[in-house]
Amino acid sequence: MTPKDIIKITINLVIIYIIGGLILAGVYAKTSPVIYQKNEQEKQEALKKMAPEAEAIDKLGDWYPHEKHAEYYVVKKGGDTAGYIIQTFGKGYSSYINILVATDKDLKIEKIEILSHAETPGLGDEIEKPSFKEQFKGKDPEHVRLVKTETTEYIQAITGVTISSRAVTEDGVRRALEFLKGQLLSPQTGNRARHEGGSHE
Amino acid sequence: MSEEVIKLPEEKVRYRDLIINGIVAENTIFKLAISLCPAIAVTNSLRNGFLMGIAVLFVQTMVNITVAAFRRFIHPRIRLPIFMLIISGWVSVADMTMAAFAREAYKQMGLYIQLIVAFASILARAEMFASKNRIAPSMFDGIGMGLGFLFALVVISFFRELLGRGSLWGLQIIPTKPLLIMILPAGGFLAVGILMAFFNWIDARYLKKRTVHH
Repeated sequence: MTPKDIIKITINLVIIYIIGGLILAGVYAKTSPVIYQKNEQEKQEALKKMAPEAEAIDKLGDWYPHEKHAEYYVVKKGGDTAGYIIQTFGKGYSSYINILVATDKDLKIEKIEILSHAETPGLGDEIEKPSFKEQFKGKDPEHVRLVKTETTEYIQAITGVTISSRAVTEDGVRRALEFLKGQLLSPQTGNRARHEGGSHE
Repeated sequence: MSEEVIKLPEEKVRYRDLIINGIVAENTIFKLAISLCPAIAVTNSLRNGFLMGIAVLFVQTMVNITVAAFRRFIHPRIRLPIFMLIISGWVSVADMTMAAFAREAYKQMGLYIQLIVAFASILARAEMFASKNRIAPSMFDGIGMGLGFLFALVVISFFRELLGRGSLWGLQIIPTKPLLIMILPAGGFLAVGILMAFFNWIDARYLKKRTVHH
C-alpha cells in the first residue's frame, strides 16, 4: 500500500462518514422534537389513567432513583388529597424499568403501570402483563415483597422472569413507596421536595 | 461467513429466482446458519418473531439497495466499516422515524429494531451479493433474504410459543404450558436444531434437484 493509497482510503472513509453523519443529524433534527412532544403527551395521558377520578394532579417534587430523574404528584379530589402518584425506576436484567405507581392517601397501592423498559423481548416484557400488575392493587408497602411461590399476600414472581419481577417489585415500587413515606412524614428534609401547604396533615 | 457467491450473469438473473433462493436454498437460518443469535433470542413468541422478521426484511432490502448504489465509491479495503455505517444508519433512521411517527408500532417493535445492527446476515448479504451486483438484483436479493429470515423466525416461534406457553400470538390455545423450556434460551437451541435438521432432511429427500448448486 502506497502513501497515495492511504490518503485515498482516508478521504474516502471520511467523506462517506460525514455524509452518513449529516443524514442522521437531519433525521434526528426532524424527529426528536416530535418524539419529545409525544413522550410528554403520553406521560400526561398515563397520569390521567393512573387516577381517572382526579380533579387535579399536582407535582409535589422530583427524586432520583438510580440517578434518574423522576417526579411525584399529589392527586386531589374535592379539594382534599385523594392519593399520590410516583414515578420510579427499577434496575432490571438489561435496562431500567420505568414505572408509575398510584396510591391512595394511606399509601396503599391503587395500581401500577410499566411506562418503558428494554428487558428481554418475549420474556422480561411479561412484567407488562395485567396478571402481574394487578397483584399490586391494595398492597401496602410492607406487603410489596417478591416471593416465588403462589401467594395473594405478597407479589408472585413470573416464572423465568425473576430478575425483572424483582426489579419492578422491590427495587422499583417498594423503594418509591418508602421514599414517599419518608417525604410525607418529614417533607422538609427531602431532596428538593416542595411542601404543599397543609394538604396532607 | 461462507465464501459462496451466486454468480449469475446479470442479464439472465431472474428476480423470482433470487427471492426463492433467499427463502429456500440460502435460507439465512436453516441453510447458511448465520444470525442464529436473534433467531433464538426473539422467537419465544409468534408476534416477536414476526415483528423481528418484518424489521429485518426492511433493513436488509434498504441496505442492499444502498450498498449496490454506492458500490463503485467504496474502496475495497474499507468496505466493512462503510457497510456497518450504512447498516447502523438505516437502523437509526428506522428507529427514530418510527418513534416519532408510528408510536403504536414502535412500542411493539422498538425493542427489536436496534438489535438489527449486530446481525451477521445483513452484513453478509451486503458483502456477498450487493457489493458485486446492480441495484435491482440486490434489491430482490434483499427481499428474498428478508422473507427467508421472516419465514424461519415465524416457523421457529410458532413451535416455541405453542409448546412453551400453549398460546399463539398471545391467544391461549392449550390451557397449560406443555414445555416451558421451549420459551427459554435452551429451548431456542432445541427448536432451531430440530427444525434445521427437518428442513435439511426435506431438502435431501425431495428438493435435491431444485436446489441451486454452487
